[in-house]
Amino acid sequence: MGYLGTSPIHLIEVLTMSNRKIRVLMSKPGIDGHWRGGIVVSRALRDAGMELIFGGFQNVNQIVEAAIQEDVDVLGLSIHSGAHFAYTKQVIDLLKEKGVFDDILILVGGVIPAQDFPKLKEIGVANVYGPGSMTSDIVEFIRENIKK
Amino acid sequence: MNENLPYIVKFNVFLTMFDKDYLEKIKIEKEKWEEKLKESKERDVKFVTDSEIPIKRLYTPLDVKGDYLDTVNFPGQEPFTRGVYPSMYRGRLWTMRLFSGHGTPEETNLRWKYLYENGETGFSAAVDALTFNGIDPTNPDGAPEVGTSGVPLYCIDSLFALTEDIPIDKISVALVVEPFTSAPVCAMYFNMAKMRGYDLKNLMGTTQNDILTMTVGYIPYKNSPPNHLLRVACDFIEWTVAQKNVPLWHPINFTGYNYREGGIDAVQELGFVFASACSHIDNLIERGWKADDFVGRLAFHLAAHKDFFEEIAKYRAARRIWYKLMKDRYEVKNPKNLGFKFHVQTAGSSLTAQLPLINIVRTAIQGLEANLGGCQSLHTNSYDEAICLPSEQAALVALRTQQVIADETRITNTIDPLAGSYYVEWLTDEVEERVWNYMDKIQKVGSIDKALSTGWLYKEMRDAFHKRRTRMEKGEEIMLGINKYKVPYDTVTDVFRTSQTAIDIEVNRINKLKARRDNAKLEKILDKLRIVCEKEENVMPIIMEATKEGATVGEICDIYREIWGIWEPPLSI
Repeated sequence: MGYLGTSPIHLIEVLTMSNRKIRVLMSKPGIDGHWRGGIVVSRALRDAGMELIFGGFQNVNQIVEAAIQEDVDVLGLSIHSGAHFAYTKQVIDLLKEKGVFDDILILVGGVIPAQDFPKLKEIGVANVYGPGSMTSDIVEFIRENIKK
Repeated sequence: MNENLPYIVKFNVFLTMFDKDYLEKIKIEKEKWEEKLKESKERDVKFVTDSEIPIKRLYTPLDVKGDYLDTVNFPGQEPFTRGVYPSMYRGRLWTMRLFSGHGTPEETNLRWKYLYENGETGFSAAVDALTFNGIDPTNPDGAPEVGTSGVPLYCIDSLFALTEDIPIDKISVALVVEPFTSAPVCAMYFNMAKMRGYDLKNLMGTTQNDILTMTVGYIPYKNSPPNHLLRVACDFIEWTVAQKNVPLWHPINFTGYNYREGGIDAVQELGFVFASACSHIDNLIERGWKADDFVGRLAFHLAAHKDFFEEIAKYRAARRIWYKLMKDRYEVKNPKNLGFKFHVQTAGSSLTAQLPLINIVRTAIQGLEANLGGCQSLHTNSYDEAICLPSEQAALVALRTQQVIADETRITNTIDPLAGSYYVEWLTDEVEERVWNYMDKIQKVGSIDKALSTGWLYKEMRDAFHKRRTRMEKGEEIMLGINKYKVPYDTVTDVFRTSQTAIDIEVNRINKLKARRDNAKLEKILDKLRIVCEKEENVMPIIMEATKEGATVGEICDIYREIWGIWEPPLSI
């Protein structure tokens, strides 16, 4: 039940690599404050047994730095401002530059038109969740598609 | 002012609205009817309101508490259950005010004119995330969001462009900005109005200025701590209304809508807004003002959500609660200052991207709730709400939806037509009682800034999010297209996209302004602002001066950050 902010991170348990929980970083790139989506999905993933790191507002550098330091399996970007292309591309370019893009499953959620899904997937997003998505579908997708 | 005032309302237990003997007869007949009912089955669903008030299968005169003249009475008369004005919509229809803004001030100006030509009777500026948070477009943190979720209003030139050729002396404008940026954005608006030759004494409009919107409704990006937000919100009320610089302005609009959208219920919505309103009134009384000096200009903005009757009961209960607060707690003398005036927005969160045309039906029903509940002003959502800012067509349909209610349904023939419904009166009482209880709970935590800084309100919001998610996933709360008659995620055919060039236009606007203004003079004014902030004096006079000299919203908010610091809200998952 850790408090959340731009400087995360209270990890409750230290787990061995063999039975390591799936580690997820949930971030909000940019400055738009629609927060319900990110919180609801975070809680659902934690309830499903995943280790959840809530980054809150982070700029692109902070997101990539936290993803590397926390050795996460999944990076969730919650974007409701319509600026999903700009932020997602900046994050993916930096992950590639740091050589960690292949280790991390990238998911984007928010107010995102279905027409934009293919283009986001083209630049490296594993899946996109628009309005009305069910959290159980997100949990299932992560379990089936985790990269390591 | 009396902190110990009991909040639980005791209704008159005598059923004075009906003859006692006749009620006895009804009771006997009702028991017979219930006996017959034992043979018939009911569907296996929970019969509760959205805020989980259990609902009986039938309401009769036996459920009506209180005395007509005490608890209901006539419109425009205490306790205002039936409406704030004696004639209500027979005198004047509600203001049709669509929340609108995108791209640039020039593009928004065109949209406003389009809606005005089509019968809109009030404007409301939806601003972008940078304006909300006091970030200039030259700051890379927010640059990709210039104009994407509202109109960018970063400097005085933007306000001229926004209102060009619009008669702002005849039609009121709502500026939807919150305490962190309300002083600079509204000072820009007031300066613009003065320069265009309007007298601020006659200027009509509203500033949202709601502390809870940019703290629990949305999370704030690099805003200052809640105690400072509360104070600057009150500075604005004090300067505009109490000191009579802009006496006809509504300096605050307690916006339950924005947190209701996050998942809280109707009872919590009213609890949040009234607890917040009391904290502001207390602050101004501590400054030496009397409630009568300003409470008549305080306004409210509520949601029209999915539960038809509960929402109508909510509006009726809200008027009664506000009246009692003003009369009993704040000892307000002027009868004009006792009325609860409110704008309504239909529920964006009830709309779906799936099968978007159904949203027109949902919005029409919710608009009807607001009108049957006696709102003063209404925004109806566009059918593409769940996926993008409104397209021109979608905005027109939304406006026409209100006009159908106003011009075609004839619901405006009589005032408060649902009064006297056994169910509506019972539910109004029930909502009222629950709101008093909930307010009591909030006020035990402290003033509204404390309820924020301690994280209490965030926990309430979080619990509400999860309760709704669970209800949705269990199918207890139905959303067609999502958890019943499911359809794959689809979108409206044409997704409205905001201008890609907005960022260049806005950076250019700021650069031009900076080249034109007297920077040395402005620096001196900004230094004075630093001192005002340090001393915690009213920021409005100096911000009026600064924005007139061309200070941007970002520059002023940077001084707030420098002097008061940046606040990290205590969110919890």
